[in-house]
Amino acid sequence: MQTVDARGLSCPRPVMMTQDAMNGPDAAHMVVLVDSGTAKANVASHLSEAGYTVAVEQSEDGSYTITARH
Amino acid sequence: MILGAAGLTIGVVAALLVKAGNPGNMGLCIACFLRDTVGFFGGAGANMGAVAYIRPEIVGLVLGATVSALVAKEFRARGGSSVLLRFVLGFIFMAGALVFLGCTVRAWLRLGGGDLNALVGIAGLVAGIAVGTVFLRRRYDLGRARKLPVALGWIAPSLAVALLVVAAVAMFGTKPAAFTVTPAGAKNTAEKAVIGKDGTVLKPEGAALVDGAVVAKDGTVVSPAASVAAAKPMPGGLRDPFVLALAAGLGLGVVAQRSRFCTVGGVRDAIIWRRFDLLLGVGGLLLGALVTNLALGQFNLGFVGQPVAHTDVLGNFAAMAVAGLAAVMLGGCPFRQVIMSGEGDVDALSAVLGMAAGAYFMHSFQFASTAKGLAPMAWPLLAVMAAVLVGIGLWMRTRVAVPATDTVAAAGQEA
Repeated sequence: MQTVDARGLSCPRPVMMTQDAMNGPDAAHMVVLVDSGTAKANVASHLSEAGYTVAVEQSEDGSYTITARH
Repeated sequence: MILGAAGLTIGVVAALLVKAGNPGNMGLCIACFLRDTVGFFGGAGANMGAVAYIRPEIVGLVLGATVSALVAKEFRARGGSSVLLRFVLGFIFMAGALVFLGCTVRAWLRLGGGDLNALVGIAGLVAGIAVGTVFLRRRYDLGRARKLPVALGWIAPSLAVALLVVAAVAMFGTKPAAFTVTPAGAKNTAEKAVIGKDGTVLKPEGAALVDGAVVAKDGTVVSPAASVAAAKPMPGGLRDPFVLALAAGLGLGVVAQRSRFCTVGGVRDAIIWRRFDLLLGVGGLLLGALVTNLALGQFNLGFVGQPVAHTDVLGNFAAMAVAGLAAVMLGGCPFRQVIMSGEGDVDALSAVLGMAAGAYFMHSFQFASTAKGLAPMAWPLLAVMAAVLVGIGLWMRTRVAVPATDTVAAAGQEA
């Protein structure tokens, strides 16, 4: 499993880092951490488009954990 | 789909705002309206006498986004990602926008009104965004924003409320002398005489309108009749009713916050990932403005005689290329920056303040274009701005290709 920490980064870095992870080894299962609604929506839709099953969890501090499986 | 609907709504509302009194193809323009708001404080001393008016639309956008973000539990005080560089990028964005005469929103609205110069501007915009994607692929990055004390997130909404109060006070005629408001409906003659809406002479003082000409106290003709007849409206004097403008801003602030509408992101993502669905946003904006303008008889196809526009092809292209590149490097268009500042994003607020400072600079030193064309020093200015952007783009990058799994090691190596 890969973990991508994209918290605090501006568009489109979170999606680009997610894409890097998708191109990397062990791309079948990944967790992406983001902390804005925009990054959450963009990363989740990018993963869905690529055929991943996506689950999003919001934590108490307002950040999001996006879990994706292929 | 949400983006398309949001774009459509913004396009339609913008065209309706022109009908209600805003300058041509300027129902909504982030650069122009920020500039006008700065003009209220800058006034004639900064060559902003014709563009001085706190635009309630801008205030509404910020507050609409704040309310929407609070309701959606997305209001978060955050910042600290290259705050000063974002100020510089906002400044440069505004420089490009004021050479083109419009921001990345107005470029599409101008096209929707038939202004073909905007097509050239949009080509430049795409070129600028394309250069930005090269930087992004080379890991251009302004660093991480952090959570901040919640009070800092309220700076932008508080500024918006303060502006609203000042604007409302000025509207009821108790404006302090230090501030400037372009008289509603004022027109400028070639000789700088100013004629009010009802035919009164506002400037020079004491002059009167005699046989269609402006005649000074001592009897000399300041502006001949032909000049008065051909007088052009001052953009700052063209405005829709205060409450309507505020309501439109509030409504669009909510729409933009919910939809995350961005006039740059769609083109950027289309170039990087060949994903075209995000283009629905600007597509909707164009379509909404086009259909509404056609329906209202505001559509006028061509290059010449377009409202608040010039026909310098190379200038339009280069100016929008600079603006587009600056916007990509900020992570979103100026509209997004205004909305995000309302959501508590201090970095976005820094970009907005940079735009405001840029507007003051551009008018103070007469770099801004007019309907006649580019200012004499516009080209050197654009060259310097472009060089600064390229410098920032090459310098601000994550130095090491970071494996996604190795986030601990990466933390110490980021630029």
